[in-house]
Amino acid sequence: MQRRRASALVLLVAGVILAAACTSTAVVTQNGPVVTVFGGYRGVEAERFAASVAPFEEQTGITVSYVGAGSFAKAIEDRVANADYPDVAIFPQPGLIQEYARQGILLPLDEETQATVTQYPETAVGTVGDVLYSVWFRASVKSLVWYEPQVFAGQGYEVPSTWDEMMDLTSRMEIDGYAPWCLSIESFGATGWVGTDWIEDIVLRQSGPDVYDKWVAGEISFEDDQIIAAFETFGEIVHQPGRVLGGTQRILNTPWTQAQDPMFESPPRCLLNRQGSVQQAQLPSWVTIGKETDSFVLPAMDEGEPPILAAGEFAAAFADRPEVHALLQYLATPEAGAAWAAAGGFVSPHKAFDSDLYGDDLDRRVAEIMNRAAVIRLDGSDAMIPSVGTGTFWTGMVSYIRTGDARTVAADIQAGYPEVTHFPEVPVSEG
Amino acid sequence: MTPIESIWSKIREREPWTDEEREQTLDELFPDDEKIIPYLKRFATLMILSTMIAAFGLIANSAAVVIGAMLVAPLMTPMLALAASLMYAQMRRFMGSVTVIILGTLGAIATGWLVSRLAAGTLTAGSLSPELLARTSPSLLDLGIAIAAGLAGGYVLTHKGAGSSLPGVAIAVALVPPLATVGVALEFGAIEFALGALLLYTTNLIAIVLSASIVMFISGFVPDYVRQIARGHLGLRLLPWGLALLAVTVPLGLHTKSVLEDEAFVKDVTTAVEEWDPQAEILEIDADRSGSRATVSMTVATTTSDLQPAWKLAESITREYGIDLDLDVRYQRESTDAASTS
Repeated sequence: MQRRRASALVLLVAGVILAAACTSTAVVTQNGPVVTVFGGYRGVEAERFAASVAPFEEQTGITVSYVGAGSFAKAIEDRVANADYPDVAIFPQPGLIQEYARQGILLPLDEETQATVTQYPETAVGTVGDVLYSVWFRASVKSLVWYEPQVFAGQGYEVPSTWDEMMDLTSRMEIDGYAPWCLSIESFGATGWVGTDWIEDIVLRQSGPDVYDKWVAGEISFEDDQIIAAFETFGEIVHQPGRVLGGTQRILNTPWTQAQDPMFESPPRCLLNRQGSVQQAQLPSWVTIGKETDSFVLPAMDEGEPPILAAGEFAAAFADRPEVHALLQYLATPEAGAAWAAAGGFVSPHKAFDSDLYGDDLDRRVAEIMNRAAVIRLDGSDAMIPSVGTGTFWTGMVSYIRTGDARTVAADIQAGYPEVTHFPEVPVSEG
Repeated sequence: MTPIESIWSKIREREPWTDEEREQTLDELFPDDEKIIPYLKRFATLMILSTMIAAFGLIANSAAVVIGAMLVAPLMTPMLALAASLMYAQMRRFMGSVTVIILGTLGAIATGWLVSRLAAGTLTAGSLSPELLARTSPSLLDLGIAIAAGLAGGYVLTHKGAGSSLPGVAIAVALVPPLATVGVALEFGAIEFALGALLLYTTNLIAIVLSASIVMFISGFVPDYVRQIARGHLGLRLLPWGLALLAVTVPLGLHTKSVLEDEAFVKDVTTAVEEWDPQAEILEIDADRSGSRATVSMTVATTTSDLQPAWKLAESITREYGIDLDLDVRYQRESTDAASTS
């Protein structure tokens, strides 16, 4: 008789999940009015936000009580689902503002705040229909390419001024034995956004701001030839063997935060990294901007000022109280960012912002780039409806990098739009 | 005879010191002219080796290896020599011991720094080992340890037959590991940690010299004729050391206070966690509170799939205790699975 016996005990430590949060309150036992603010700033950023609203608190006696969540987009969705609204939320995704405004959960800006915002036309971007819902508080620029100036000087490379020059430079780097591009996109649950930034930058350059706006609004399909063409332009970089360090494998599996690290090896293993001003926080501590690395604006297709893809945070109100509107009105003024700009890590969307207030050189340069740009557009995926912008567009970028099949990917992304493409009219109530 | 004097006379009860015994002990502490070079060579070799052992042990987070380094370390001898030179009022020997201690200290810091350069890549400032971190935040407890160990060191030196306890003294009041920590922390640019470890070393140094001096004085190791000459200046000679001891108690007291505050704060956070998610069990918590700001990172085990968001906990702690917070939560979901066939 044969007897076999097998047994197994499997102990699973199922998934370690990380979450982070941050709070700041100037006064603990408050007698005056309190405005609760919910956002994504944590750690140093939360402290600097608190410093930014301190003058407001002093002037008005209103207390700003801030809570920041690491996974803001999910947290605000949960709060909205439970009708547990903060007074003010600071959204990195204008798309969420659009959605909540359409649902009638968010309040339009009151008349005084609208007047303040329209006083600085460049900041009046938070409209749903014709109604202003949000205040653009902090800005960042996405359309930058990071490089190593010493390698450029040593090899005789020049900063390209057109897209073709940039592709010629790419070829020259390949001939010189380098993998030209440092590109990796892994970003936990948000993997894909680095790729969407590329497509947006290319659409803006190849097809212009009008097509871009219609595409972001859902009026031009992902399956439109102009959008397919943008994927293919991106494909000339990601799908040409040898152009990106480590190929598809590294692009998809390496955290975006480490994309540029091989540039700082000796000899450098890649030479160009298209990434926004957020890259500053990812640079190794010994790297100085202007010395070991620097950035140029991703060139336009032709000579001329390139359009700028921008992002940032936008404040909007869930509660209709005078102190809430007072805070939004304050956040709409250039003064609101002064403390943060001095500490570094803040770019004001206001053209009127005094550039002497910047304590950080990169912040000042980014502000200059924004002031000079003739065309500025907000990050499209942040502004698209979330099921596409932070849904199928993200996953679609992973598929496209893996397969290179632009048409199929475009159809899959487009499928993220709900059946009804026309939203009901927004109920307009005057604050 | 006052009661204290009678207690001391009991403690001192032993065969009175002969001049020969004194000479022999002093010889051990202060090598003669022709022995000085071999002594310094031995001192330097053991100093470098013990610091290397300590630094590698600290980086590898091995308590056993660090204790080994303490046993190899030769720093106790010049410190006891310094105490003896103070009691004997011998300027030349005083300067000699001070020079050896300073050179040993600087050499150890440099060695610690070099070792961590060699080991670079295995560590970052954010991932310094618990053994290293344990030496960067000394408290009043460390002062108590150092004083008691200094008394023991002086006792061992002045009581023949107690010599086998000296390794224990060396372990209790480690001198080389804090110095190695200074070197490693400097290499990682963690200035605050380096200063903390340096404070621990300074505390140990001062407490050992001062308490060993006192034991030597009352144990009869210092002969009467020296006492008579030197007594007038004794207070003056010990005064700087007493003041230095007072000076280090200030930062040590502040450290202790912040440790106690952190512990009280952890209790508050634990209470808040119970309200936040009754299912959650704190596996690990690290809280650092300074004034009305705090940084907390914790790992919680939970059996539910419905995880409570961190921001809710942060908000309730701020509301409840008035403390602004940076909070990191790791959720660990555990489940078991089993199977068998036969």
